[in-house]
Amino acid sequence: MRAGLEVHQQLATGKLFCACPSELSETVTRTVERRLRATGGENHAIDPAAAFQASRNLTYLYEATPTSCLVELDEEPPHPLNGEALDVALTMALLLGARPLDEVEVMRKIVVDGSNTSGFQRTALVAVDGRLEVGGRSYSIPTICLEEDACRRGAESKLGVHFRLDRLGIPLVEIATGPEIQSGEEARTVAEEIGLLLRATRRVRRGIGSIREDVNVSAEGGARVELKGVQELRLVPQYVDGEVARQRALLEVRDELSRRHASVPNDAPTDVTEELRGLGSGPLGDTVRRGGAVLGIALLGFSGLLAPPGGTRERLGRELADHARTTGVRGLFHSDEIPSQGIEGGINLALRNRLRATGPQDAFVLVAAPTPEEANRALAAIRARAAQALEGIPAETRDPLPDGRTRFSRPLPGRDRMYPETDVPPIAVSAERLRTLRAHLPERPSETRARLLAKYSLSEDVARALQKAADVDRFEELVARGHTSALVAQLLAREIPATGDDEPFDFPTELLDELLTAVEHGTFAKEGIGPVVAALAAGAPTVADAIAKSGLSGMDRTQLESIASAIVAKNEALIASRGEGAFSPLMGDLMREVRGRRDGQEVAEVLRVALARRSAPGTT
Amino acid sequence: MSESEPVDPWERLRSLPMGTTVAVIRSDGSTWTGAVVPPHEFSGARVIQLKLASGYNVGLRIDPTDRVTVTEPTKANGNGLHNWGSPPATTPTGPWVALLTTGGTIASRVDYRTGGVRPVQGEREILSFYPDLAQDGPVRVVPVFDRLSEEIGPEDWDEMARRTAAVFAQGASGVVIAHGTDTMAYTSAALSFLLEDLPGPVVLVGAQRSPDRPSSDGFTNLTAAVRLARHPELGEVVVVMHDGLSDDRFAVHRGTRVRKMHSSRRDAFRSRNGPPLGYVEGPTVRLDRPFRPKSKGPAKFTGPLGTGATILWFHPGLSPERAASFATGARGIVIAGTGLGHVSLAHLPWIRDSIAKGTVIAMTTQCLEGEADPFVYATGRELARAGVIYLGDALPETAYTKLLWALGQSNDPQRVGELLATPRAGDLEARREAEDHP
Repeated sequence: MRAGLEVHQQLATGKLFCACPSELSETVTRTVERRLRATGGENHAIDPAAAFQASRNLTYLYEATPTSCLVELDEEPPHPLNGEALDVALTMALLLGARPLDEVEVMRKIVVDGSNTSGFQRTALVAVDGRLEVGGRSYSIPTICLEEDACRRGAESKLGVHFRLDRLGIPLVEIATGPEIQSGEEARTVAEEIGLLLRATRRVRRGIGSIREDVNVSAEGGARVELKGVQELRLVPQYVDGEVARQRALLEVRDELSRRHASVPNDAPTDVTEELRGLGSGPLGDTVRRGGAVLGIALLGFSGLLAPPGGTRERLGRELADHARTTGVRGLFHSDEIPSQGIEGGINLALRNRLRATGPQDAFVLVAAPTPEEANRALAAIRARAAQALEGIPAETRDPLPDGRTRFSRPLPGRDRMYPETDVPPIAVSAERLRTLRAHLPERPSETRARLLAKYSLSEDVARALQKAADVDRFEELVARGHTSALVAQLLAREIPATGDDEPFDFPTELLDELLTAVEHGTFAKEGIGPVVAALAAGAPTVADAIAKSGLSGMDRTQLESIASAIVAKNEALIASRGEGAFSPLMGDLMREVRGRRDGQEVAEVLRVALARRSAPGTT
Repeated sequence: MSESEPVDPWERLRSLPMGTTVAVIRSDGSTWTGAVVPPHEFSGARVIQLKLASGYNVGLRIDPTDRVTVTEPTKANGNGLHNWGSPPATTPTGPWVALLTTGGTIASRVDYRTGGVRPVQGEREILSFYPDLAQDGPVRVVPVFDRLSEEIGPEDWDEMARRTAAVFAQGASGVVIAHGTDTMAYTSAALSFLLEDLPGPVVLVGAQRSPDRPSSDGFTNLTAAVRLARHPELGEVVVVMHDGLSDDRFAVHRGTRVRKMHSSRRDAFRSRNGPPLGYVEGPTVRLDRPFRPKSKGPAKFTGPLGTGATILWFHPGLSPERAASFATGARGIVIAGTGLGHVSLAHLPWIRDSIAKGTVIAMTTQCLEGEADPFVYATGRELARAGVIYLGDALPETAYTKLLWALGQSNDPQRVGELLATPRAGDLEARREAEDHP
């Protein structure tokens, strides 16, 4: 297999073509309804992906926010490209040893899925031919681009698809690797390293969705499939390996279809609504009762390959359903699902006769929809996908799903969707500008790590974790304020990231300063940092409040000693039988009672004293 | 041509036909391969633009030491996948609408070769851009000229009016004029005065976004305009454009009441001193205000327009000398005055002088809403006594086109003044309501 990455990182510089901040917002000030249609690109040709999206003929509802203006609404021309954002992209180019262009030209990339109000995404190639070393391997970085982010997609209602304008126009630096990655785990490592390099510029946005990966995957004999917009790095291996497995399985299906001389007849779909009158409840029966239509087609030689028993092989049936869904139809039924929804015996025979799927290896697909036209559209999409199954793997774009699976999104776009953005003048990249940027290049992640190791005696893992949390600056600031580096590292690299897998809580530095001071003054023990941080993340307004909420307040040395004595007294028998060996279990009991409220070393010391006190008079 | 020939590679690249695929080998050893496309107007010196295989354009500053090799001559256009549909094979029959094209954004597209905007030419290309137009009945495309609207002048208004009368005479049931938006309101006002006895609607329409963009408002504006042009009763000149920022509702503005009030928004056009005549929403056309019904025809062209009129925008600090020199030689001047229609009394001498020499001077308000009224302040009374004609709630631009029309009707300043002051096409209204200034 081969895989390549496109890492997209949002910049915190302000938007790329207007004066809005790079900030999301939950306040909707106005909703605007629009339609988009595919227009011819260069040579008056329409990109297949654009034609496909426009064929869905949807209405889009754009939600304006205080962080969007007329530019995002497509009501004002784009302003000149944000020079600060270009500087970040050029800085990345220099860090990756790439060649910046003499003049950067902004292009329009047609995208009519509604995610851009204009119907295109503005994008510019900034540099080419870089390289990145990760774990002793060298990867090519063919391109570094600067582009605008798209809208945030919201709910799809009867009125149309909702898109939030806040994200539209936030600058994205796109870094592409060559197709040199050989496993899902490797893809993750490379993506992580690129992420660290981007963060080193200190101009990136943080939080979930601020960095997203497109992963191009092709299995041996398969096709290039783009998994678009993976937000969770930890799922990259799963997506990549899953895609390779899917392609391999579908290649097996193709080979089997070929052995069977399978075919997809070109007959018009047959209306079988009448045959299904009297079916019980289920999508098919319900559609018929509501006055809808059920139409079907035969797939000769496909039996058993749509949903193979055992579920080990990828289901071609699911691919067909995904394609039907893009036409807006969800009610799909195929013959590998028999018996279900009351289709068996006589009805099955009648259907097979009507659809001319009478051979033992023949399959059929039914689509239930409110009107025959909708069912016909869905069946056309299904037939096209079934025909592709005879050939192999279609090159396509797939959406990653939260459960680690992917779903068909649209055909792979081609070069026909790019043309010049005439509203934005080209930007000359002067030698002077590059000299200045080169003189102020940020420290590379590996250099930062080396420095952290040497200066603060951190371990490699802790240093990496700090970088991953993008908190190196704050670490150094808190240490400079007099806190111990180990404690600060524990807080920033372990406890805070634990408040959220992908979007850790964003604590003000002053609050962390206060928290560290409390630990150092013995208000609570360092074992309690986790619960206190969690209480703050959950909304506790002050450190004192968080300490109280975590049940860590109000224990002094005397209370600790009395609890220790009580535990010792309760366990006379154990101590008598195990002597020194009783220390560990008793320590465990005691820690359960006082964890986080008193320091662990102090607890051990108090327990030892309590044990000694008990044994002193007891020796007689 | 051999590579050793001492030709400046920049000159060589510039001489190649656009679309030629070349490799540029730079002194640092790097190579760029792509098709030559024209540079942007704002590209730097010696910058050549190449379109790479990825579709991206890149700008390269060509050094004399760079080397150029041609790898592929110009390819004919047409790696097209889905060529955008040809017009419907069978033209529906029934009453037809004439679509007059005059240029502007609505009838332009990006030339992908040059990156510039070029006009859409011919019925076939227009109907291929707007395949939905003919869904309710036939549309015949009549190219009039191809001009950005800032290049359109009074002779062009005469020409549009003549062509409109002509297509009505040929049997059109309605006329749509695709027009650049910048000066569309001037044209709509001029046509309102130039055309009489209209046997159907005359609908001006434009686009704020060019139709090569998926988000162009041209598609929906034009569809709404053609729909309105099929209205069975309307007989006046109107403008149809987006009513809001959404693609679902289109306002029908009276030709003499409309103004472009925003440089880029879809809903730039607004009726002043009153609401629009009505709206087009989906298939529904709703006219809520009294409109001029169509006549039996034939449509009459009442031009040509006269010449020698201008608009003077008064502002604090405008010296009487400068204004007087601006006014010299004009047959008529529309002043956009302050408030109720005022200028500094220091201007009274040249105004009196001009009127005495036969120049017609009319007053409108630069507030754009409300009316010019000479009787409230002493300044207004002085100006009116000097012979300045107060034009009530007429927009300055509307008054200007009316003045041109009146100058075309008569050489007598007295008569011109009378024509100017007589309501003709909804340009002077007697009442305004509280809701008219939202």
